[in-house]
Amino acid sequence: MEPLLLEHLAVREFRNIERADLRPGRRLTVISGDNGQGKTSLLEAIYFAATSKSFRTPRLSEVTRHEHAIASVRARFRDGPGGLSREQLASIDEGQRAVKIDERRPPSLAAYAVRSPIVCFHSAELELSTGAASARRTLLDRVSLFLEPGSLDHRERYRKALRERQKALSVRGPDSPELGPYEELCARHGSAVSRSRGRAAEAVNACLPEMFSRIAAPGLTLEAIFKRGGSDDEQHMLQELAARRARDRLRGAPGFGPHRDELNLTIDGHQARVVASQGQHRALTLALKLAEFQAIARARGVLPILLLDDVSSELDRDRTAALLLLLGQMGAQIFLTTTRPELILTPWVRPLERVDVRLESGALNPIDAP
Amino acid sequence: MFPPSLRSLIEGLARLPGVGEKTATRFALFLVTAEEDYVRLLGEQIQGLSSSIRPCHRCGFLAQVRSPDEPPLCSICADNHRDRSQLCVVGRMQDLLAIERSGAFRGRYFVLSKLLSPLDGVGPADLPLEALARRVHEDGVREVILATPPTVDGEATALLLARELRPQGVRVSRIASGVPHGGDIEYADQITLGRALEGRQLIE
Repeated sequence: MEPLLLEHLAVREFRNIERADLRPGRRLTVISGDNGQGKTSLLEAIYFAATSKSFRTPRLSEVTRHEHAIASVRARFRDGPGGLSREQLASIDEGQRAVKIDERRPPSLAAYAVRSPIVCFHSAELELSTGAASARRTLLDRVSLFLEPGSLDHRERYRKALRERQKALSVRGPDSPELGPYEELCARHGSAVSRSRGRAAEAVNACLPEMFSRIAAPGLTLEAIFKRGGSDDEQHMLQELAARRARDRLRGAPGFGPHRDELNLTIDGHQARVVASQGQHRALTLALKLAEFQAIARARGVLPILLLDDVSSELDRDRTAALLLLLGQMGAQIFLTTTRPELILTPWVRPLERVDVRLESGALNPIDAP
Repeated sequence: MFPPSLRSLIEGLARLPGVGEKTATRFALFLVTAEEDYVRLLGEQIQGLSSSIRPCHRCGFLAQVRSPDEPPLCSICADNHRDRSQLCVVGRMQDLLAIERSGAFRGRYFVLSKLLSPLDGVGPADLPLEALARRVHEDGVREVILATPPTVDGEATALLLARELRPQGVRVSRIASGVPHGGDIEYADQITLGRALEGRQLIE
């Protein structure tokens, strides 16, 4: 499979970056700099150009450099070295998001977000295997987007309908006539979310064992078991919601639905949360992210770009080299940030295919690779 | 920079939809130098709005007040050529105007002015359900077409109205959503296309 390539990037007024133009390496771009210079912001800008979202914040108005600025990122992507290229533009003006592909507005944000797949490893995801279920649901949702772009709309409508139902329950009680309509919508969209998460979990599971075997000690079996918090059957979900009104009112939160979905991780049949060592958790998280990468690659037919935010901070030289080699084997174009570029040794990359840059107070300077 | 009364006029004009401070300033400067008769008439028209225009007592659309003791009736409800048996329920006046512009509907309307939204404090009691039921009964409406927007609150409102109206023995339908006319299927977004497939119709 061919890798998606970012060939040129122009960042304007984005976080602390006033203006930066980057011509990335064909295989690898190493972004170095001290803390607080804007390294993660540059990765975020790439992610923003590809998805029109940020992996750091849901509040996009945060990304503009100052209150009145228009943050924009223009990126030239190509589907494989021989594929077609396109220019994608994402911008934020007074909190309003605008996107264009080749100067034309795409039919929807979901349609925009699936054009140039990207997978980001960042520090918040270090707890993917041990932390809250929401992070694992988000992973499934990102995969869903590529399997069924309409899943995003169902998710947003489900969330809204569920909040309206809960509010009606708490304010007007369990017999209020608007509960029926909102429950009908919760069931329609919630069951659709359940179905698409189920399919995403299957896609992730199809890739997970191989990825885990490359990272962890041989002989261990990792499984990710999707446990529904709701139902994939609309009628069943509708009945459950109607039956749970009084309980949901008391609890102050709905007790049934895909917002309670879980992806249970097991190692050799035991709960990973209980039995896994710290090293195994790291391997688990990495395997999950690589399974996300591969599931998206299969759905989209092109290898996603990989973004790595400071992943080497906790690793020594040998472990960093081993991780980079593993990621390199995926065949994707990689962007990574580091405070210690001397650790980023990549003998598997031809010199012309690697670009090193340094960020200082939001300004980008080319440097020679170590 | 501007004299105080001009300043406050600019601020007032800038509150109009689609008008920013720049446009408001242009309007204000134009009015200052415009013909006196024009400005006076415009002022009177604006001033008289609240007493001359009232919501139609039947549908909620805008109606001219003819006399104080006559309930206001809009031009659509007053038009006897329009089909009484079909009633189209819309969320806002703007939606009524859009459907009117299409020329595809010859029945009459009912404007809700609000959509259900418990989060915004709008419950069933805040919707004109009784007025709608009365209208359906009095006019002998045979079909109610629900044209609330395809948002979550618009859909919930449509579902609620359908539940309220069906026991009255009236046919209730929902406007379709789908691929725009003249649009390429190739370029339609997946959500619209999905809905168009769900709402497909038999060719007879």
